[in-house]
Amino acid sequence: MSAEVARSRSREFVQALAAELSKLWSLPAVWLTLGGSLIVNLILAAAFISAGLQGLTGTPNVLDIGLASISYIQAGFIILGIVASCSEYTGGQIRTTLTAIPRRSLQLVAAHLALTIVVIPAAIITAASGVLFAAIALGDASASMELGSTVRMLAGATGYLGLTTLISASCGVLLRRTLPAAIALLGYYFIAGPLLREQTTQARYLPDTAGFSMWFPQPEDASALPPAQGAFVLVAWTLAAFAISLVVYRSRDA
Amino acid sequence: MRALTAELSKLTSLLSFWVALATGLIVPTAIAALNSVSTRKEIDLGVETAVGIDMGYQELAFGVIGAIIIGVIAVSNEYFTESAESGGGRQITTSLIAVPSRLRFLLAKATAVALVSAVLASAAAVATMAAIRIVLGEHAPEMGSEAIPRLAGIVCYWVLTALLAFGITVLTRHGVIPLAILIVNTSVVTVTYLLTRLTSLAYYLPDMAGIRMFIRNLEDSTVEIAPLVGGLVMTAWVAALLIIAAIVFCRRDA
Repeated sequence: MSAEVARSRSREFVQALAAELSKLWSLPAVWLTLGGSLIVNLILAAAFISAGLQGLTGTPNVLDIGLASISYIQAGFIILGIVASCSEYTGGQIRTTLTAIPRRSLQLVAAHLALTIVVIPAAIITAASGVLFAAIALGDASASMELGSTVRMLAGATGYLGLTTLISASCGVLLRRTLPAAIALLGYYFIAGPLLREQTTQARYLPDTAGFSMWFPQPEDASALPPAQGAFVLVAWTLAAFAISLVVYRSRDA
Repeated sequence: MRALTAELSKLTSLLSFWVALATGLIVPTAIAALNSVSTRKEIDLGVETAVGIDMGYQELAFGVIGAIIIGVIAVSNEYFTESAESGGGRQITTSLIAVPSRLRFLLAKATAVALVSAVLASAAAVATMAAIRIVLGEHAPEMGSEAIPRLAGIVCYWVLTALLAFGITVLTRHGVIPLAILIVNTSVVTVTYLLTRLTSLAYYLPDMAGIRMFIRNLEDSTVEIAPLVGGLVMTAWVAALLIIAAIVFCRRDA
């Protein structure tokens, strides 16, 4: 009996995941955001590369230059997270969703997991495209790069973009409307966050600054967290955001 | 005139509008207060002797996010589609029935946005300068007659940026894209600033030219632009954009 219940539960989850994936897949905004991010990323990478070639930043380092555009391109991933959550609330799709999957925790977990599945390859492609572009464009002019640190930095950038997308998705669930969520998150990540980073060293525990340590080398900044700790802090923020959105989502009217 | 009153009434009935007002007031004031506190510490320690020439003005350049939000929501809210249960309508159809002349409608809306941004900018400038005065006391920069054109420059910059956001949103008919572009570009290191590393022509982009109206000490700038010229360049950009927006708006289906 209990085995049957367990099997039906896991089956229910797989079906919910498939449904969420299909919804994401069919959302044009997802593809437009990801494609747009990739194109803008390459344009920004070109700008950074040309600045690097002019010798403004010392010996050009392929990793530093290739990943520099991530701090701007995260806007695309933030919007992706918001769109994924808030599209449920434009036009009342949420009622259909909850009729099909009445268990809200299951639905929200499946939605976040589906978003993770979509966003991880996209983040890898985006991060790698910048680095690859920089490697090709800089060629011999660059300092040599080793495989280990390249993989580590790319993994860090991918993890950062993925977790930031999930935080945005949780905030989208909380706020339910695209524009206010975009104002709040973009305002935080692009205005409040950088300013706080300059003001106080305590800012290193905030989601953006902690996440930066995963892929942005700050050797001169003694207050920065080591990458592993930064990743840990960012994961904690992601789980907290998810937990809050889950509690609110379960307890309110759709 | 009645169209203008209507637009003002629509704008002030939006929750996001009040959020934008609060953001525009609080962001520059809070940053200025924080910066003043750290400057005060440095002065007391004897590290610094005088405050920077751009104290207060650079903070107000961040506060423009409030004006951006106003410009965006004024248009995007017209195109927000209601859910299917409440008819799936959009405000724009009602608005154009009430004011059939599209040019007059757009003009009234732009005027409302400009008026509100001007008031917000003036209030934010007063609040920011007051915050600096309170924290720094006798070390606060002198506010002589030379401050008047700079403060006027702030107001012009905010109004023009709001109209820029307004024009882009008329073209996109959705708020997220202009919001993302403009907020990312209000960040501490703006994208347009990066572009100036590539080509000095980027100094003539609307925001880079516009900040010349009130920022006197632009970091390693290679092109000097007089405040008045900067203002005119930005006005030309905004005028061109608004003309394009007006042509598109008058010709397409709502």
